[in-house]
Amino acid sequence: MIRTEELLLNVGPQHPSTHGVFRIIVKLDGEVITDATPVMGYLHRGTEKLAENLNYTQIIPYTDRMDYVSAMTNNYVLVHAVEKLMDIEVPERAEFLRLIVMELQRVASHLVWWGTYLLDIGAMSPFLYAFRDREIIVDLFNELCGARLTYNYMRVGGVKWDAPSGWIDKVRDFIPHMRKRLDEYDRLVSGNEIFLARIKGVGQYDQETAINYGLSGANLRSTGVDWDLRRAEPYSLYPRFEFDVPLGSKGDCYDRYVIRIQEIKESLRILEQAVAQFPSSGETMGKVPRVIRPPEGEIYARIESPRGEIGCYIISKGKAEPYRLKFRRPSFVNLQILPKLLIGETMTNLITILGGVDIVVGEVDC
Amino acid sequence: MKGLIQGLGVTLKALTSKKVTYRYPDVPLTMPDRFRGIQYLDPDKCIVCNQCARICPTDCITLTGKPNPDPEAKGKVVDTFDLNFETCILCDLCTEVCPTEAIVMTNQFELAAYSRDDLFKDRKWLSENTSLIRQDNNGAFMLPKGGGKKDA
Amino acid sequence: MNELIQQTFTWQNGLIFLGWGIVFLFIVLGFVTYAIYFERKVIGWMQYRHGPTRLGPFGMFQTIADIFKLLIKEDTIPKKADRALFILAPVIAYVPAFAVLATIPYTSTLGFADLNVGLLYYAALSSISTIGIVLAGWASNNKYSLLGGMRSAAQMISYEIPLVLSVVGIIMMNGSLSLRTIVEGQGSNFWEWNLFPQIVGFMVFVIAAVSELNRTPFDLPEAESELVAGYHVEYSGFRFAFFMLAEYVYVFAISALTTVLFLGGWHPPLAALDVIPGLLWFVLKFSFCVFFLFWLRATLPRIRVDQLMSLGWKVLLPIALANIFVTAVCLEIFSK
Repeated sequence: MIRTEELLLNVGPQHPSTHGVFRIIVKLDGEVITDATPVMGYLHRGTEKLAENLNYTQIIPYTDRMDYVSAMTNNYVLVHAVEKLMDIEVPERAEFLRLIVMELQRVASHLVWWGTYLLDIGAMSPFLYAFRDREIIVDLFNELCGARLTYNYMRVGGVKWDAPSGWIDKVRDFIPHMRKRLDEYDRLVSGNEIFLARIKGVGQYDQETAINYGLSGANLRSTGVDWDLRRAEPYSLYPRFEFDVPLGSKGDCYDRYVIRIQEIKESLRILEQAVAQFPSSGETMGKVPRVIRPPEGEIYARIESPRGEIGCYIISKGKAEPYRLKFRRPSFVNLQILPKLLIGETMTNLITILGGVDIVVGEVDC
Repeated sequence: MKGLIQGLGVTLKALTSKKVTYRYPDVPLTMPDRFRGIQYLDPDKCIVCNQCARICPTDCITLTGKPNPDPEAKGKVVDTFDLNFETCILCDLCTEVCPTEAIVMTNQFELAAYSRDDLFKDRKWLSENTSLIRQDNNGAFMLPKGGGKKDA
Repeated sequence: MNELIQQTFTWQNGLIFLGWGIVFLFIVLGFVTYAIYFERKVIGWMQYRHGPTRLGPFGMFQTIADIFKLLIKEDTIPKKADRALFILAPVIAYVPAFAVLATIPYTSTLGFADLNVGLLYYAALSSISTIGIVLAGWASNNKYSLLGGMRSAAQMISYEIPLVLSVVGIIMMNGSLSLRTIVEGQGSNFWEWNLFPQIVGFMVFVIAAVSELNRTPFDLPEAESELVAGYHVEYSGFRFAFFMLAEYVYVFAISALTTVLFLGGWHPPLAALDVIPGLLWFVLKFSFCVFFLFWLRATLPRIRVDQLMSLGWKVLLPIALANIFVTAVCLEIFSK
């Protein structure tokens, strides 16, 4: 009589493809996963609790460190919530700058995803190709706000820095450059038969499941749900610009891949229009009281981050510090579907699916 | 097969194209003026208003003042100014709130040290850190004519 | 060298054999050192980087420094590992890799043993390395390395068959398993090489060979994004170096074998270019094969286990069999 036994395997917290310190305990029958338990919290820093003792300006650098691949959108969701609570009007030039950096950030974030996803699948060149082009965006941010990763750029009521002279032109030059690069990416990867065989039909779920699990971003749109907060619940200056929301139909990793590549293209379209309409002069800081002390009340503001719906819920008791601050982090919510997707898949598909969900562990653990 | 061959073509083309590597340790990197590196402190400008210590999200600045030695001048002068660089996150808020631009950023980013003790920067160290001091320090928070900050 | 091998075995001859063996070992080590350097350079260039540049002119001494580092590293054996097998595994992986090189002819005169079953000898010995890999995976007592070892065993069995079957066509055309006879059967013009009559066999051979080498896109046993490092996850220092060495010696062996079987060995591509010595032609073709492997590695993603299996059994094996059949029919029709 042969005795068989399930193999209990700890994937992570130190594993090359869990994108940080994330751990999944999987039970393997051969190479087939029979059970999966994600374990998170290795990168928990207590941002929300810390925020209760900080005033609103001080929280901004902490938001940089949640989703460190997309710090600009995190900055925005906090200041946007406070502005909504206090009814602060943001000058047009500042709002344009915010929109431009957010869209640049979306391109940069998707590039990081693209590179690391291909690295997970086993191709190593795309990673360096993507980072080469992300470097241009990061350099633009460095010139604008003096940091390459944790920007701390936005403030309640505006932005910290006006664009330096020539900066907008650099953004304008970047757009055609990036389009050319995207063609190169398509030739390098998108048609690759091995790659397509790896991701087509993997990690599939339907619309209903996606909505029930509260997914957002590309994970939701891959099932064909037309839900992009930039259009469904417009904020900032998005209503002024023309752009499409790419949708999938099958809800597999391939659709998510295509959507993200398309989103880069759409972001470039928005950037093109924004740069053309950029006001030649104007204030970058609105009228903000010396001490930011929102009135008593509650507010929930949400925007579309590269990973999905990022939200900020503030309960204010009229003090300079929030009474309670809660971030709805898309990576965290999107991750909930993981155990369901993994059961019955192979070890190899675990990496494909986890990569396709696109998590940033800093945001999952917050 | 077509996709595979196209991909091989892309990498083959890259083989001879220009490389993007920075020659960093050999050739120093120049950062743009706004870059946030370790702070410079001008003790003469400091008025011991404690705003930087209060705004710091990680509480890494501590400073004490003493009465001005010149009996005719009002106010205080800085006595000790300690910056615990272990916890500093270079968020730029201290330079943003400083009304006299006593504490400003520099372009120094080579900050690695062998000992944690080296990361404790005192007044002396900070005031001697004079290379590559940032020129434009307050951005949108520039002092309007007539003095007084718009925001804190 | 042929005469040397034909002589009766005496102490003196034995020492000469040993001497040649050691000389050849150092040539192979030199190749491995610079193959790794070349691989890093090529992949670097393909990724808009420079590759190693800092040690020596153009970073030439980088690999030497790496090997030195591996040599002086602490040799760790996990407490719960199967000690004897753990130590034995790298040796089993390496020895066949070096032994198969004996049968490859480099020019019409340069070469070691001209076995009349050369090809069979190669195929038989190279499968022993898998045992080393499976043992390493098992003996490490690590789940990742176990998975890597199992994958390796499955992959090896699946791809050994198409690899051997794909060259049966050549054996039939030449009527010999001796690698020297196979090269001599090919002419001094590139259209007289086995590459063209056996183009189908060549494609199957290339795919199966890359898979045998465990290199991208078939590097499943050590898939670093899934299995961390696969079967050698617990190995460090010189034991790890042995696995690396075995891998690169197989790169040498497969490239040389491809050159010999399909690319006309030491023959020039055009009869008019006969003035250039045969060894140079061999090295050129050989280098191209090595470059091709690195090129693939810089471009392709990794295939999945189940896809690998179905590719091997459902695609490559039938094609290889069909190739044998077609070759046999053609030989029957045209050679009469």
